[in-house]
Amino acid sequence: MMILIVDDEPQIRKLLTAGLKGYGYDVLAAADGHEALTLVAQRRPELVVLDIHLSQGPDGLEVCRRLREWSRVPIIMLSVRGDERTKVQALDAGADDYLTKPFGMEELRARIQAVVRRAVAEPGAPPDSVIRAGALAIDLVNRRVTVAGEEVHFTPQEYDILRLLATHPGKIMTHPAILSAVWGPEYADMTHYVRIYVNQIRKKLRENPAANVRYILNEPGVGYRFIDLP
Amino acid sequence: MTATLRPAASPDRRAALLRAAGEYLAAAALVVATTLALWPLRDRLTIANESLLYMLVTLIVAVRFRTGPSVLAALLSFFAFNYFLVRPYYTLAVEDTRELLDLLVFLTAAVIAGRLTDYARHQAEAAGLNARQQDILYRLTSALNPLTDVDAIRAELRRVAVEELGAVEVEFLPMPPTAPTEHHPAADVVFVLLQAGEAIYGTLRASFLRAPSTSAHRLLIACAGQAALALQRVDLTAQAQRSRALGEADRLKTALLRAVSHDLRTPITIIKTSAANLGDVDLAARLSAEEKGDMVQAIEASADALDRLVGNLLDMSRLQAGAVVLNEDWNSVEEIAGDVAAGVYRREGTERIRLDFPDDLPLVRCDFGLLRQALGNLVDNALRHEPEGQRVVIRGRAEAGLVRLEVVNHGPTIPAEERERIMEPFYQSRDGRSVMGGVGLGLAIAHGIAAVHGGALAVADTPGGGATFIIRLPQTEGAP
Repeated sequence: MMILIVDDEPQIRKLLTAGLKGYGYDVLAAADGHEALTLVAQRRPELVVLDIHLSQGPDGLEVCRRLREWSRVPIIMLSVRGDERTKVQALDAGADDYLTKPFGMEELRARIQAVVRRAVAEPGAPPDSVIRAGALAIDLVNRRVTVAGEEVHFTPQEYDILRLLATHPGKIMTHPAILSAVWGPEYADMTHYVRIYVNQIRKKLRENPAANVRYILNEPGVGYRFIDLP
Repeated sequence: MTATLRPAASPDRRAALLRAAGEYLAAAALVVATTLALWPLRDRLTIANESLLYMLVTLIVAVRFRTGPSVLAALLSFFAFNYFLVRPYYTLAVEDTRELLDLLVFLTAAVIAGRLTDYARHQAEAAGLNARQQDILYRLTSALNPLTDVDAIRAELRRVAVEELGAVEVEFLPMPPTAPTEHHPAADVVFVLLQAGEAIYGTLRASFLRAPSTSAHRLLIACAGQAALALQRVDLTAQAQRSRALGEADRLKTALLRAVSHDLRTPITIIKTSAANLGDVDLAARLSAEEKGDMVQAIEASADALDRLVGNLLDMSRLQAGAVVLNEDWNSVEEIAGDVAAGVYRREGTERIRLDFPDDLPLVRCDFGLLRQALGNLVDNALRHEPEGQRVVIRGRAEAGLVRLEVVNHGPTIPAEERERIMEPFYQSRDGRSVMGGVGLGLAIAHGIAAVHGGALAVADTPGGGATFIIRLPQTEGAP
């Protein structure tokens, strides 16, 4: 599988290239947006790792938007801490995921695998009729949820949110996306609805963050992400 | 000493002349009236009776109208008395030289009484004038007291010069005058130095239509002196503030340098040494896999520490510069606490936090990322002092109009004298305990983040020992 790395820092390009090659990927590298667009067109990589901030030419967001005009190649954006607005912009521009610098190669590899898995699976129908994550099992056919074997009752809206998140494991669902899917597009701004419902769902799922027992992860200022299923 | 503060204009002078003429006429009329009254009785009264009556009239005139009219009254009395009432009538012949004594007594008494009256009157006028000047000065001082602005102080002095002292034009020159310029050709210009002690705060240039009286001039100088004192007070306050700010900046710089030299150098040294060891072919061949793994882990931990440190330094400078843009939304503080707790578990590999949140805690409008940072800093700090085997508690409670987030540890209690200082940037407790990446910025940042949300960070004792840090966040109107 071929991956294109776009970053204006030569050292980072070098490290990522070496790391990803070590995991067995073929790697291309581009130092700016123009080069990146050309390479995607000519070499058809199967995934793009794109830095949001590029010092020359179009920046990462712009490259992402232009790519989405004609390509469905999965894109993982690289951003820095505390840059929530840009992350939302990246998702709006069509990015599949983002990763905050600094990160470990393990983390990047996991994201790459998850994004590729979803890209392969997506236009197809639901993966399984039962989603399992730790002690949690969601039976999509019978709308039954059990935690450690005990059945948990959910209201229809709570179940819809949980199902939406759980059927997209590892994928960031923005608040407006959840609101639109569950309540309808006219509710896209009511982010506090999601907060209150997700809080309820978490209690029913018996999450224990202090022991890192969690099914729904926060993406600050962006949305939620169901834990990635191996 | 002049009776008026404003110089008398010519219509005033004419009125004064008219008034004086009236006084002389009144004195003469009184003497004539007395003479007419005594005329029919001149054969029945003794000379002593009559002369005493004239004396009384003269004294009345003296008390009422001062020296001039009373001397006139004395002279007229003597002649009228002599001509009409003393035998032989209708002559001024003085039969007896003793009568010359009468004349002398009349004149002397009139002059003495007149002078006394004049003196008393001047005293009264001077006292009145003094009181008015004191009043002006007092009101100026009271008006200047609360002022902290140079322009406002000047405006107040200008107002007094124009309204109370009759200046037609007031101007402030930055420094003592060298070559006075004439703005108002017919004006009398007065320059007064605004001086307080050694310091000179410019010059007041006041133009008058007529040269001000000595007392007015003195009052102007006194007022300028008060204004100069006020200007000096403002100047000294500003100087004190500047030096305080400089001192604070200096203290921060020193603390930053000390922090940087230690907390930045340590991880850099670890990274550098580990990388060099791993890169040395001969050495690497002799290292066990475990030793190599330790070095790699040390590099990663050091890099994480540096990342946290740089993040904290950036946050601190953004908070201090007021450059934080809040990405506010309705957030569940329980969610934020959950993120912090999960992060601690991943880092430590064991459960060291206990979460305590009621089911009905309202949402709070805040920046998720910033609040997580603040809470994370408080938790990191609490864990540093938490006894082995115990858990730091993150607790959320609703209060009237606000939501309270508490981070409770069970370690040593913070001495009262350190309570205030621990929130200052780069402050480290006296036992010097500081873990890598913590340069004493954590609490200062948490404090700053609480503040930009309109909230506050406080510290209290944990019952049974330890410190409880409390973030209070206001519950904004329209909470869902």
